[in-house]
Amino acid sequence: MAVCVAVIAKENYPLYIRSTPTENELKFHYMVHTSLDVVDEKVSAMGKALVDQRELYLGLLYPTEDYKVYGYVTNSKVKFVMVVDSSNTALRDNEIRSMFRKLHNSYTDVMCNPFYNPGDRIQSSGNLGISLSCRAFDTMVTSMMIQVC
Amino acid sequence: MAQCVQSVQELIPDSFVPCVAALCSEEAERLTRLNHLSFAELLKPFSRLTSEVHMRDPNNQLHIIKNLKIAVSNIVTQPPQSGAIRKLLNDVVSGSQPAEGLVANVITAGDYDLNISATTPWFESYRETFLQSMPASDHEFLNHYLACMLVASSSEAEPVEQFSKLSQEQHRIQHNNECSYPKWFIPNTLKYYVLLHDVSAGDEQRAESIYEEMKQKYGTQGCYLLKINSRASNRASDEQIPDPWSQYLQKSSIQNQESYEDGPCIVTSNKNSDSNLLSLDGLDNEVKDGLPNNFRVHPLQLDQTSDSSNSIDGPDHVKSASLHETKKGNTGIIHGACLTLTDHDRIRQFIQEFTFRGLLPHIEKTIRQLNDQLISRKGLSRSLFSATKKWFSGSKVPEKSINELKNTSGLLYPPEAPELQIRKMADLCFLVQHYDLAYSCYHTAKKDFLNDQAMLYAAGALEMAAVSAFLQPGAPRPYPAHYMDTAIQTYRDICKNMVLAERCVLLSAEILKSQSKYSEAAALLIRLTSENTWKGMDSDLRSALLLEQAAHCFINMKAPMVRKYAFHMILAGHRFSKAGQKKHALRCYCQAMQVYKGKGWSLAEDHINFTIGRQSYTLRQLDNAVSAFRHILINESKQSAAQQGAFLREYLYVYKNVSQLSPDGPLPQLPLPYINSSATRVFFGHDRRPADGEKQAATHVSLDQEYDSESSQQWRELEEQVVAVVNKGIIPSNFYPTQYCLNSYSDNSRFPFAVVEEPITVEVAFRNPLKVPLLLTDLSLLWKFQPKDFSGKDNEEVKQLVTGEPEMIGAEVISEFLINSEELKVARLKLFPHHVGELHILGVVYNLGTVQGQVDGIGALPGCHTGKYSLSLSVRGKQDLEIQGPRLNNTKEEKTSIKYGPDRRLDPIITEEMPLLEVFFIHFPTGLLCGEIRKAYVEFVNVSKCPLTGLKVVSKRPEFFTFGGNTAVLTPLSPSASENCSAYKTVVTDSTSVCTALISSASSVDFGIGIGSQPEVIPVPLPDTVLLPGASVQLPMWLRGPDEEGVHEINFLFYYESVKKQPKIRHRILRHTAVICTSRSLNVRATVCRSNSLEDEEGRGSNMLVFVDVENTNTSEAGVKEFHIVQVSSSSKHWKLQKSVNLSENKDAKLASREKGKFCFKAIKCEEKEVATQSSEKYTFADIIFGNEQIISSASPCADFFYRSLSSELKKPQTQLSVHTEKQSIEDAVRLIQKCSEVDLNIVILWKAYVVEDSKQLILEGQHHVILRTIGQEAFSYPQKQELPEMELLKFFRPENTTVSSRPSIEQLSNLIKTSLHYPESFNHPFHQKSLCLVPVTLLLSNCSTADVDVIVDLRHKTTSPEALEIHGSFTWLGQTQYKLQLKSQEIHSLQLKACFVHTGVYNLGTPRVFAKLSDQVTVFETSQQNSMPALIIITNV
Repeated sequence: MAVCVAVIAKENYPLYIRSTPTENELKFHYMVHTSLDVVDEKVSAMGKALVDQRELYLGLLYPTEDYKVYGYVTNSKVKFVMVVDSSNTALRDNEIRSMFRKLHNSYTDVMCNPFYNPGDRIQSSGNLGISLSCRAFDTMVTSMMIQVC
Repeated sequence: MAQCVQSVQELIPDSFVPCVAALCSEEAERLTRLNHLSFAELLKPFSRLTSEVHMRDPNNQLHIIKNLKIAVSNIVTQPPQSGAIRKLLNDVVSGSQPAEGLVANVITAGDYDLNISATTPWFESYRETFLQSMPASDHEFLNHYLACMLVASSSEAEPVEQFSKLSQEQHRIQHNNECSYPKWFIPNTLKYYVLLHDVSAGDEQRAESIYEEMKQKYGTQGCYLLKINSRASNRASDEQIPDPWSQYLQKSSIQNQESYEDGPCIVTSNKNSDSNLLSLDGLDNEVKDGLPNNFRVHPLQLDQTSDSSNSIDGPDHVKSASLHETKKGNTGIIHGACLTLTDHDRIRQFIQEFTFRGLLPHIEKTIRQLNDQLISRKGLSRSLFSATKKWFSGSKVPEKSINELKNTSGLLYPPEAPELQIRKMADLCFLVQHYDLAYSCYHTAKKDFLNDQAMLYAAGALEMAAVSAFLQPGAPRPYPAHYMDTAIQTYRDICKNMVLAERCVLLSAEILKSQSKYSEAAALLIRLTSENTWKGMDSDLRSALLLEQAAHCFINMKAPMVRKYAFHMILAGHRFSKAGQKKHALRCYCQAMQVYKGKGWSLAEDHINFTIGRQSYTLRQLDNAVSAFRHILINESKQSAAQQGAFLREYLYVYKNVSQLSPDGPLPQLPLPYINSSATRVFFGHDRRPADGEKQAATHVSLDQEYDSESSQQWRELEEQVVAVVNKGIIPSNFYPTQYCLNSYSDNSRFPFAVVEEPITVEVAFRNPLKVPLLLTDLSLLWKFQPKDFSGKDNEEVKQLVTGEPEMIGAEVISEFLINSEELKVARLKLFPHHVGELHILGVVYNLGTVQGQVDGIGALPGCHTGKYSLSLSVRGKQDLEIQGPRLNNTKEEKTSIKYGPDRRLDPIITEEMPLLEVFFIHFPTGLLCGEIRKAYVEFVNVSKCPLTGLKVVSKRPEFFTFGGNTAVLTPLSPSASENCSAYKTVVTDSTSVCTALISSASSVDFGIGIGSQPEVIPVPLPDTVLLPGASVQLPMWLRGPDEEGVHEINFLFYYESVKKQPKIRHRILRHTAVICTSRSLNVRATVCRSNSLEDEEGRGSNMLVFVDVENTNTSEAGVKEFHIVQVSSSSKHWKLQKSVNLSENKDAKLASREKGKFCFKAIKCEEKEVATQSSEKYTFADIIFGNEQIISSASPCADFFYRSLSSELKKPQTQLSVHTEKQSIEDAVRLIQKCSEVDLNIVILWKAYVVEDSKQLILEGQHHVILRTIGQEAFSYPQKQELPEMELLKFFRPENTTVSSRPSIEQLSNLIKTSLHYPESFNHPFHQKSLCLVPVTLLLSNCSTADVDVIVDLRHKTTSPEALEIHGSFTWLGQTQYKLQLKSQEIHSLQLKACFVHTGVYNLGTPRVFAKLSDQVTVFETSQQNSMPALIIITNV
């Protein structure tokens, strides 16, 4: 179960960021922001190796004392970052991978909404056309944060 | 890690130098004290050797030592206290701040451009001090004293005695068991005897002789005569002598222990007293008191706790106090005042001599000794060791990993243990820069220690092995980083010795950095920071520094990791602030801010800004604090309400401090609430008065009205109309529509005019972006005023700007204005100009505050609008109102660039007094029947101090109302008197004259119609044309319900002028919008046709029949019972109704709901002479009455409305003839022909309706107009809507531009000639007598046109319809069968015909065909035929 899920735009600003213990929100923001450096590093390292058919899943970005930070980057350089409690040993690489895939699909659904303006934050308080798919995304993230996949 | 001044290769040797103790006699100390220096301090600047030194290693190889440095320090008998060290480190760090004008490097990484200071001098000084202050420990010998200088003065009584005393003292210190400190390298310490000689005071001879004595006693190698103080201290120093001590003494070194002799207790006591004793500037306490403590603690923000705890205050104060002290010490005193340059050289010489002759030979000797010992013991111990190991473990001795070692502390060797000898030798070799040998020794020692599980010793050996491996010239082996890692881990985890671990990290990180292994260095640095508590709190400072270095490592990587840099900077800043290093903390946060700024990470950004704000505040950088706090509040904050509230309070608090600092300064610009300046509206004039009883004030303009572009356009047009009328049809070029309310849609390019003594209301749109309510108090406008005299002498006197005098401009102050969370709210602020001039409204000024009692409240308290708010904190400040004008887009230049026009909404010009009109409506109805006439009253009041004149009213619907014509004065003037009177002017008539019309006439001039081309502009008939100040006039006003059903908004624009001509404002206006709801009443349609006049009637040939159909279309929901047609009047220039035909039974002409009545009237032409005398504008009114009261239709209001409807009818577009006729003549002809079918008869139907309303019967009156223009065509009282086809068929061809027939229609032509047959209706003829019956028939031909007409009468039967022939049988016309005639204008010609019948029967005599053509036209329109009605004749046989 994820503690924090973030979607970061190509230009490295947050499109969506949510964490479960809301009182520690700032900490997760910092954590996610800092992890972008590692994402960049990994992407640039990977870019040389495999230009086509590269793996979107970046794996563990870095561990901290209490958390593990995983990364995933789409072909359009949108990054997904997930922070997982490191005490949760049930989560293997494969589970994380599938969670990211789910997240990616959900994100694609939001992008497919014709009312979505690329680059906007994913927030259900927006206009009516987009709020529905944003809410769907939100529920999906909630489910990822609650259930142990 | 930031760049350092020293390279690693310099740094490490300098960190580990041979230590020499100095033991001075009191007298010697006194001598050096003359220079304000201790002996050790005296030597310090000269302690580095300038020349290379040679030394032989145990293998007798020559070894060169470069840049050797020795450290001489006074003997201290106690180990340095950790508190003192901590304080020292703190001082060093806080004393070293980045230089002001330091040019920072710009690092570009990705899309980040960061300004980063490349060097971190505070870190370097920290490191230097840290390494120097390392307490000597038992497991290593690097900072153990190698030698001891015994210093005595030549001025002493018994110098030699003194030397032996000192020697004994040294021995006591070293070998007495009580003194475990300082540490000595080897038991047999080198003693070096120094005789200090004061050149200026002492006896040189004596000194020389003592020196000789010493030489004999201690040997030439072991003693030295140092001559100093060549200059008397009291002598003025003419000679500028460099002060080499300053740079060393500023950082007060640990060796300089005098002040800390009993250091720890002083320091600690200081700390305790400081924390509660002084608050240096009262600042910290104030922060604590002023700020509410019930913040929720921010996750990363532990500053609050540390701020309020003493731990921060303590070191801070100590720091400042000691800084103060050192400053005092440094400023006044010149070090080395008694020393000349020769003395400097002497000291240098002395050090050199000491090193060459004393120290190095001693070291050389010691190394040799140790080496020998080792070699002799090696075989035995090694073999024993390995043997036992082999026996017990049965395997080779591996380097066991630390984790396996069970023993945590390891064993401790006695000081002279043989295991330590190799370490000693290694250390000595290291000190003299023999790294090869040192490495192998360390390596061996490491193995031994590990075997013995002596972990501390092993870690030390590992550390130094790694360092010496790195420092080996030529680098034969790579740097063993894992040695370092193991050492650090051991120090930290097993030995719990963080100081050593830290040293290890500092060295290793520096080495890694030099090898560009930044990420490893960063990892190393960060690893040491994870501990939060280690022996108290000074881990904060260390962590901060290390984190900062780690951050620098990240940014210096090949692919710079900007975000990691930023994050670690924040962590460093956090630790700095915990350590009380506020400036450094602020600097760190500021650096990190560069990365987070404007990248959408608002939460982080807010946090940083908040911290920057607080830190700046505590550092008294109030401007920075303000701007940082401002940032948090201005950006659309995503923080919770409580957090926002906290931010806001903090911000206000800081602001308050700023303003208290400079109470006379300009008011600060406040960032909150937001002002939507383009939504600012300005209104000139008084507020609208509410309705007063039945008086209803004119709606005029107010701020409550929404802007509607359509209606404002209408008003503008109305004003243009009235101005055009006033200026004789031309709108003056400088005319601009009057604008009372300026908003973003109005034209604001000109300076608006405001009238003196009339208020100016400015509506400011505030928005509160926060989730906490904002309370503005004492809100008022800020303005600038330039008094001016417009009446002349404009530029003669220079008027200064006035900005705050209530005599000039009075300003209304809103005492409290609450804006709830995330609310949009407008404030209306008033100014009262009392003087003529130019006013500029600059902005708003207010106290910004929060509402107390809402600390944790989310949202606003309901109902807290009432009552006083207790203002917890407020700041007086202002916000400017700057409105950007519209974008210019006219010229090419403006189109290509982005330019904005001026917006002068807020810069009104105050002009002289103008009259001010107020209009009230009395008995003004809201609902009317269509066509209903109602009488109301209008009251005009002049509320100003100037008389007004030229009052006019203009409306798009002039047919709706009238003030009555010239005759109106006769009606009762007061509204109360006219309560139950009819709106009409009536005359009682006797019923005898019922059927005939009563004639009167009136000219349209009397009713104000026909003057000019603007019927919409109606002058108001003021009694004296002038309304004096304070005077009021009531005038009657008749209203007529519009003919269309529905709700009507009718705009009235009252125009008036001042009696005195004003140059600026020529006129003023007042607007009123009346809303009238009309319901259906009657529908009237009428036709007119020519009638054949009977013989006995006058006016032959010009008779007409008028048919009027009246239908009650009222759907009776309003309680209308029935309509009575009271009177039908005609009004025309040429025609009049003569009498009513067919009016036998329906006497009172009642019409119930949906009932239809038909009336028929005969109309005749007015008498010729009458027509001739009348002016063309004179109308003849003829009334036909159905009751016993005649309504005088030629008087007000009936005639008024008639004329109005007439003129509005005229305005409507006429059916236009096509312009493109071939010939002008044809057009003329057509017109001629048309003209003869035209008629100008207007019918006015006057009615009464009986209405039951609230069980009371009311009589409503009204009138409908029908305008008859064409004979035979039906006309309606109410313009029929032409229903457009819902969808037109698409046409794919261009419709052929068929010339709309310029020919007149048949119908029109048939009206050219009027024919009538006169014959006996029945004719008896004795057919038996005479078989042919001849009947005389007269054919009357009358020319209806004004032109000559050729007429052909053809009597031949048509042959086209054979059936007709058979049925009717036939008769024949006798005589001429065709006549050609010419009829002059209006001529009537009778033609005698004879018809011949052969049978009895009924015959149609209407067979003559009449062809007419205009005589001056050649061939056109020849085929005009008159299809007359059948003219039947009965032929009977007698």
